[in-house]
Amino acid sequence: MNLFQHIGRFTLMISLAFRKPEKWKVLRQNIIIEINTIGISSLSIVALLSLFMGAVMVIQTASNIDSVLIPAYTVGFATRQSIILEFSSTMICLILAGKVGSNIASEIGTMKLTEQIDALEVMGVNSINHLVLPKILASLFIFPFIVLISMGLGLIGGGLIGTQAGIITLEKYIMGLQYYFEPFSITYSLIKTLFFAFFIATIPSYFGYYVNPSGGALEVGRSGTKSVVASSMIILLINLIITYFLLL
Amino acid sequence: MSIIVNDIKKGFGGTEILKGISFEFEKGKTNLIIGQSGSGKSVLTKCIVGLYEVDEGEVIYGGENFSGMSKSERKHIRTQIGMLFQGSALFDSYSVEENVMFPLTMFSDMSKEEMLDRVNFCLKRVELENTNHLYPSEISGGMQKRVAIARAIALNPQYLFCDEPNSGLDPKTSIVIDNLIYDLTKEYDITTVVITHDMNSVMEIGENIMYIHEGENWWTGDKHSIVTTDNEEIGSFVYASAFMKQLRGKLN
Repeated sequence: MNLFQHIGRFTLMISLAFRKPEKWKVLRQNIIIEINTIGISSLSIVALLSLFMGAVMVIQTASNIDSVLIPAYTVGFATRQSIILEFSSTMICLILAGKVGSNIASEIGTMKLTEQIDALEVMGVNSINHLVLPKILASLFIFPFIVLISMGLGLIGGGLIGTQAGIITLEKYIMGLQYYFEPFSITYSLIKTLFFAFFIATIPSYFGYYVNPSGGALEVGRSGTKSVVASSMIILLINLIITYFLLL
Repeated sequence: MSIIVNDIKKGFGGTEILKGISFEFEKGKTNLIIGQSGSGKSVLTKCIVGLYEVDEGEVIYGGENFSGMSKSERKHIRTQIGMLFQGSALFDSYSVEENVMFPLTMFSDMSKEEMLDRVNFCLKRVELENTNHLYPSEISGGMQKRVAIARAIALNPQYLFCDEPNSGLDPKTSIVIDNLIYDLTKEYDITTVVITHDMNSVMEIGENIMYIHEGENWWTGDKHSIVTTDNEEIGSFVYASAFMKQLRGKLN
């Protein structure tokens, strides 16, 4: 299949996903399950990464400032900008594309392989709507919160290492965080996150759903890899497009 | 209500798999589709239940042309179909109870208590009481098949499809599953279609048999006529092993 055929089939899958669900109650229950699987279970890794990356950013920024003309609070300012504009949205979503994406692709791919999807279809259930829509809605709901948590923890991590290692005082760090702060930078980051969330949920679902069942476990593994590569590329592309239109 | 297939043709990538199959699956009987591996049994079944669209021909459920319907029009027939898949196809993340309850949750307006009663009834019918909270990975292959049967009958279907219900099971458990399928067919007077290449099943429950060979309906009959037919192709299928061939020679 060429790229255009993939795009066509992907679009068809999305149109089938957004059909009226069989039972709203079942959809609500599935969304809650997916929020837990996709979002809550990712919180620990996001927290760890954010704390450490915030700390590394403070050290790197401080080590690159060797002029006395640059005020100390610049460390806080640069860390804030990096974390809010890029790290907490793009980097965290790239990591989640790997963790969540491979999980979704292998889950749906295995269901295809073991005829669970056929079982749904024979019963008269729209399998794409039943399996994919809860993942999309759960991702759109939970990802912005994950990104906000990551922002907070990244800045805390930076502050902790900055003060504990004697790089910067807490007052100067907080002054840097507040310096020329534009709330729109958070809005921009959350807008990006919503787009990333949509593709992190749908691209692996696509590769899992259309896995070739005769390929067995090997094919399910491949679908996971393909989905991570494709969603990472899409995230980077969307990041560029949204940044161009919103920040220029 | 019976299922009639009329001159069904289906191919993939230029290769014709089904070459115009016609047959009537009778109500209240265990209808068997048998044949060698690669003969087109599974493709035919997937065409009948609508997982594949037929290239030509029609599938008629109780007088309604299923193959000519849109996806939404098919829904009311689909809810009358129960299917047991080769690998059971139970939902891994659901418990036994949740698996059997699934079709009820999706397609009935029952209260939670009513659904639970129905689940317990179905599980009792397949002799799996007190397994409600176990997961598919915690039960044996035979039990998984029985849970899948319980799920298939949860909505009181008119049509029951069983794709190789005995694959991976020992002969004793296979007979239990066969008898269960046969009893359910009689008890609910439903149209049952069993796809198999297990001769034990054929001899146990074969009331209306179609033998498929290279995508064609090669032979039809029942379990009595299949052992006496002089059709060479059927003979080599029924008496496949050297021992059975010897036995056939002695019988003749």
